[in-house]
Amino acid sequence: MIETIREIQAPLLAAVLLLGALAKAVDRTAQGPAALLPARVRRPFSLAHAGVEAALAVALLVLAGPFNDLARGATAVLFAVGLATLYQLRKRDPEMGCGCFGGLSTEPVGWRSMTRCGLFTAAAAGAVGLPGSGLAALSDPTPWHGVALLAEAAVIAVLSPELGEIATRLRHPVPCELREAPPRRSLRRLRLSPSWSAHRPLLASTEPVDMWRHGCWWFARFAGEREGRAVDVVFAVEVGGLRPAVRAAVTDAYEDAPRAGSEDAPPVGTGAACPNAPSDASR
Amino acid sequence: MTAETQDRRRLTAALLGPDAAPVPDGPPANVFRGALVDVGPHLLTLATPDGERRFVLTEETAFWRGGGSAFHELRPGEDVIVRCALGSHWVAERVWAGLARVTGVITAVDGDALEVATGHDRAPAAVVIPYRASGRMQVRHPRLEPGYLFDAIGVWDGDTVRALLPATSQPPYPAAEAPRRPAVRRGSMRVSGMVSWYDPALGRATGGNPLAMRTGLAYPALDRGADCGPGCDRATACAPLPLLSLGATVRLTNDCTGGAAALPVVACGAAASHFCDRCVACDSQERGRVAQLTLASFVALGGQPEAGCFNATLTAG
Repeated sequence: MIETIREIQAPLLAAVLLLGALAKAVDRTAQGPAALLPARVRRPFSLAHAGVEAALAVALLVLAGPFNDLARGATAVLFAVGLATLYQLRKRDPEMGCGCFGGLSTEPVGWRSMTRCGLFTAAAAGAVGLPGSGLAALSDPTPWHGVALLAEAAVIAVLSPELGEIATRLRHPVPCELREAPPRRSLRRLRLSPSWSAHRPLLASTEPVDMWRHGCWWFARFAGEREGRAVDVVFAVEVGGLRPAVRAAVTDAYEDAPRAGSEDAPPVGTGAACPNAPSDASR
Repeated sequence: MTAETQDRRRLTAALLGPDAAPVPDGPPANVFRGALVDVGPHLLTLATPDGERRFVLTEETAFWRGGGSAFHELRPGEDVIVRCALGSHWVAERVWAGLARVTGVITAVDGDALEVATGHDRAPAAVVIPYRASGRMQVRHPRLEPGYLFDAIGVWDGDTVRALLPATSQPPYPAAEAPRRPAVRRGSMRVSGMVSWYDPALGRATGGNPLAMRTGLAYPALDRGADCGPGCDRATACAPLPLLSLGATVRLTNDCTGGAAALPVVACGAAASHFCDRCVACDSQERGRVAQLTLASFVALGGQPEAGCFNATLTAG
């Protein structure tokens, strides 16, 4: 049984390290030890930290024999240094999160995150001396491997305040008005919508002339032509959702755009919101 | 604003309805700005882009030039902004001369001289804190060091601003270490908070500078993917502001006076996005700056530029 527990440590630690590296690379908020550094070096430090974690994770999975022992030893040292850092961080800034999983680790450093760090240190040290790589340990699993893996994952879950943060974010996502969303993503979704197919024949180009944001909507204006007249084809794509609502309008293109304060003239010759435009508001 | 961004309002209204993008109000009828031509006990003459304008001064007319002052302290050629009494176009109620404001992040300090970054789309400002104002400034801006926020009102002295009045209390941490905004559960296109002001003309050539009387606002939550651009240095605003782009129009109501206007978003308010302060006017509890009005719009909506702020409700659609 002890051997079984030792064998699952390398893949488990590799998964933890990969998740930690990913969270640190994606999230730009400074948490944990990085927050104690000068502002200009925080991001490079976080990226370097993520790089080291990712490299150790790969090494734990693929290296065998003495090289794997080196990776396991280095992992144990990394977690031991992390534990000492958390202790110092807690004394210096009791309100600071550990930053173990980037911006998800916002809960102040407490007994759970420190115990978890100690557990990982012991797990990495305990796995030193096994001959096979982490992947080899998974290649021929027994039911006991599964039981041990589930039990340890449960312990880690109990010791992880990040799960609460994830649950909160899932329950209360950022409202669409405030959500940063790249315009390219909205363009991709627009091009999959029925409104796009309906208006595509009018467009002179499939690249937008202008894009802008208004609360929950991204707008894209395209140059077009209808019955020999230059028109603007405008789409509004809702931010968020897998099948966002899309609205479309076709208006006469103006040579001289109306000026602020005197632009109350209706934009229409063809109808403001195109009456034939399907508005696929279903989500 | 380019023709393209002006067209956005029309197209937004076509798709979301007129309430989402109201027609912006025209220039304020009771606010005038120009270079001072002449001033006497009863008459003030300004050179404005529309020609010379004369204003009657009464015993109630208040003057400000770095503090309460008298008409004879104003100098010909000086930048002057006049607010007339309600319903009048020629009786001056308040007169401000040489007004300047610097809002942003301190980037360099040399004795009593500072350089302040006022946002990625604006030139850095040179500030001098004169000895007579240094005590007052020190009380509300105790950390005059690079990286810390700065917001002060003063008067122009050439290309330099002489900072005389702190416009807010400086946060005790550098701008880069501001705490994250608490999670917002429910979004809204209607947000209350404080508004401040900035001068798009930087006090220069107000007699013929079209920027001097520009109406509109710099918005602290321009979308990074569109107009704020790759050099965007705005922070996540403290108030839960909906993301907008240049060319949007918003309704702004002064919570203290009830005055309201529909104003276009004409610039990025990156500097204002760093502040999470509260305006003491009208006992509002809301924190965060919802807009940085142009000087003309601020005065037209009943704001006192020397106070620096008023509380307002912004409705974006």
